[in-house]
Amino acid sequence: MTVVLVADDDADIRDLVAFKLEQAGLEVISVEDGQAALEQARSRQPTLAVLDVSMPGLSGIDVCRMLRADQATAGMLIIMLTARVQEQDVEGGFSAGADDYVTKPFSPRELVSRIQALLSRTRA
Amino acid sequence: MRPSRSVGRLLTGAFGVLVLLIVCSGVAETTALVMQHRVVRELSAYVQPLELANAELRSVLGDAQRGLRGYLLTGDSQLLDSYQVARTAYTTSSRALTGLARADERASINDQLDRADIWWQHAEQQRLAVPRSDTAAAYVSQGRPLFEAFAAENTQFDAALAGRAANLQKRSSRLSTVTTAVVVALTLLAAVTAVLAAVVTTRRITLPLAGVVAVIDRRRVGALNSRADATVGPTEIRAVAQAVNELAEEADRTRVAEAAVARQRGEVRALGYRIRAHLKVEDAVREALDGLSTTIGADHVLLRMAPGQTGLPPVASLRDEHAHGVLKELAEADATWLRTGDVWVTNDPAPTGEVEPSEAERRAWAAVGDGPVLTVAVSGGEECLGALTLIRDTGPDWTPVEVRLTEVVAADLGRGVHLARLYEREQHLVARLQELDNAKTDFMSTVSHELRTPLTSIAGYVELLLDADAGEVDPPQRRMLDVIARNTRRLRELIEDMLTLSKIETGSFKTARRPVDLVALAEQALTAIGPAADKGEVRLKPELDGPQELTADPEQLERVLMNLLTNAVKFTPAGGTVTLRVYRADGEVNVVVADTGIGIPPPEQEALFTRFFRATNAIHQAIPGTGLGLAIVRTIVDNHSGRISVESTEGAGTTVTIRLPTR
Repeated sequence: MTVVLVADDDADIRDLVAFKLEQAGLEVISVEDGQAALEQARSRQPTLAVLDVSMPGLSGIDVCRMLRADQATAGMLIIMLTARVQEQDVEGGFSAGADDYVTKPFSPRELVSRIQALLSRTRA
Repeated sequence: MRPSRSVGRLLTGAFGVLVLLIVCSGVAETTALVMQHRVVRELSAYVQPLELANAELRSVLGDAQRGLRGYLLTGDSQLLDSYQVARTAYTTSSRALTGLARADERASINDQLDRADIWWQHAEQQRLAVPRSDTAAAYVSQGRPLFEAFAAENTQFDAALAGRAANLQKRSSRLSTVTTAVVVALTLLAAVTAVLAAVVTTRRITLPLAGVVAVIDRRRVGALNSRADATVGPTEIRAVAQAVNELAEEADRTRVAEAAVARQRGEVRALGYRIRAHLKVEDAVREALDGLSTTIGADHVLLRMAPGQTGLPPVASLRDEHAHGVLKELAEADATWLRTGDVWVTNDPAPTGEVEPSEAERRAWAAVGDGPVLTVAVSGGEECLGALTLIRDTGPDWTPVEVRLTEVVAADLGRGVHLARLYEREQHLVARLQELDNAKTDFMSTVSHELRTPLTSIAGYVELLLDADAGEVDPPQRRMLDVIARNTRRLRELIEDMLTLSKIETGSFKTARRPVDLVALAEQALTAIGPAADKGEVRLKPELDGPQELTADPEQLERVLMNLLTNAVKFTPAGGTVTLRVYRADGEVNVVVADTGIGIPPPEQEALFTRFFRATNAIHQAIPGTGLGLAIVRTIVDNHSGRISVESTEGAGTTVTIRLPTR
């Protein structure tokens, strides 16, 4: 079963994403900050991580960059959740190594279809 | 003829020659006249009387001969009487002839008279003879040869006299010819001399004079180095050339002096610009002190600020060490004796009693030295900011021009300080406004972020419910969830628009101006709006005329196009048309978005660009919107120095026209 890591400091959004992903048949690990996300990513080795950009402590971009820098987690698929639509944030996400990004407020339906598209692309 | 000779002397010479020729001519003429007169006198006073006397003698002797012969042949005593009369007349005549004669004729006359005497002796014998006798007849024939001899002698003398008269006339005639020739020759010579003198004088005056005139003309058109040649031509022209050259030198000196003043004036003007360009008071003061020392020429320049000028240095000196050294006393002296607009020059003290340096001030000047001191008030606006003092250790005195220029610099310094202080206040204000602006932007950004997170949850959960992820919902519940979803979307749009407006209004919206093809942007916008138009059954009609390049922020323009097209599609009922036209006119790129929609009621068209304004018909028809779209459009168009206009007829459609400059 494909494991997906979801990191967001807002519990409601975390639950929303987790609910939708589990419904789509994925196993979800939910964490509420960057540090936990990093630890879970290293210990559980999920296939994909959904990271909120603005989190207290380590931001999503920091986590993304660290995952990419670590040999063990460098190949992980990463989707960023960003509240800002400004180009520089998006660029920051991509330069940190994210595979895709979704701006808040997002549609859970759209998020799931993006995740599935990424997964199918890597499997193929 | 030496080229240096004066024209006056030349003319004097020429006239001398002329006068000489005229005198010669007169002398010749007079001589000729005298000669002529002599000849005439010779003829009338001597030759002609002699001729007459000779003829008379002959006539008298002829009468005597004829009387005697007649008496002898006829015995008529009357005839003898006529002989006697003739004999008496002869004595007179012969005496007259002898009296007239000169030495050279006397021989000839004596010969004649001798012949006559011979005849007379013979005649006296005859007279005694008896008339009509043979003796008488013989006497007659004997007397004839004697008379003939006299007659011959008489004729010969007459001929000699005639010859002499002819000779005299011939001589007179020759003299007349010669005189005429001489006079003609002299006249010709005089004429030639006059013409030559005229030509030479003209040439010798005209040519060098033309040279001088040419130099004057050349100088007039700007060849200031031209000088007249004072080494050629006659003395007078040389003097003129010399005078012209001296005038030119004088003019050049004046010009050079004026140019120096003009240059100084220009430097002072430039200094004024530099002083006023400084945004800091210290920099303006420093510029003024340095500039005055170099431009006007001063060994010490001291600026004392009037008391109460907070934020300004109390004293500024060209060289700081002087303010504590040689200028110490002056720096500490109170300069309040000088008021706005006052000037004091030690080498030309003002006669008016209004300005009077204080004793301390005078002592301070003396402490610096004997050099001239110039003190000018520095005024900013109405107030006296301070006193500017220029000192030269040793002369020269301050000239009126230098004083005037220093006043100009002082005025510029006053303005510069005034402006710099205003600018510093302004800067302070701007910095505070900037802080406020940044705070506002940060606040807007934070608020928007903080609002978005709960919105994400609301929208996400509503979507889950509507997607029946949490179980089926019945139709009334679905309608209610739709209302929540629609209002969530509206709230989201409102937040986005507010954030955008806040950013573009404060200028922190990153404006990346670059060449943009508005037609390409329009095509993208049409593609983006396509689904919405299809859904509303609105036909899109592009009328795009070629690439239209302009320098602009593409993202902002894209937003303008999207906002206008979204509005047009939103307010156009099914079956309507939205036209997007892009073309160039009068050097501007025009963008026209025309729809066949519901239009805007005329009284509301004015308020169209006001924030949160929504037309009443849009509200009645429950067409969603934030009321910020056109405000954003208006702000962006203003940012690009463009213009926007709206024409609308309620129920028929709206046309929005935007004109953007290409730069």
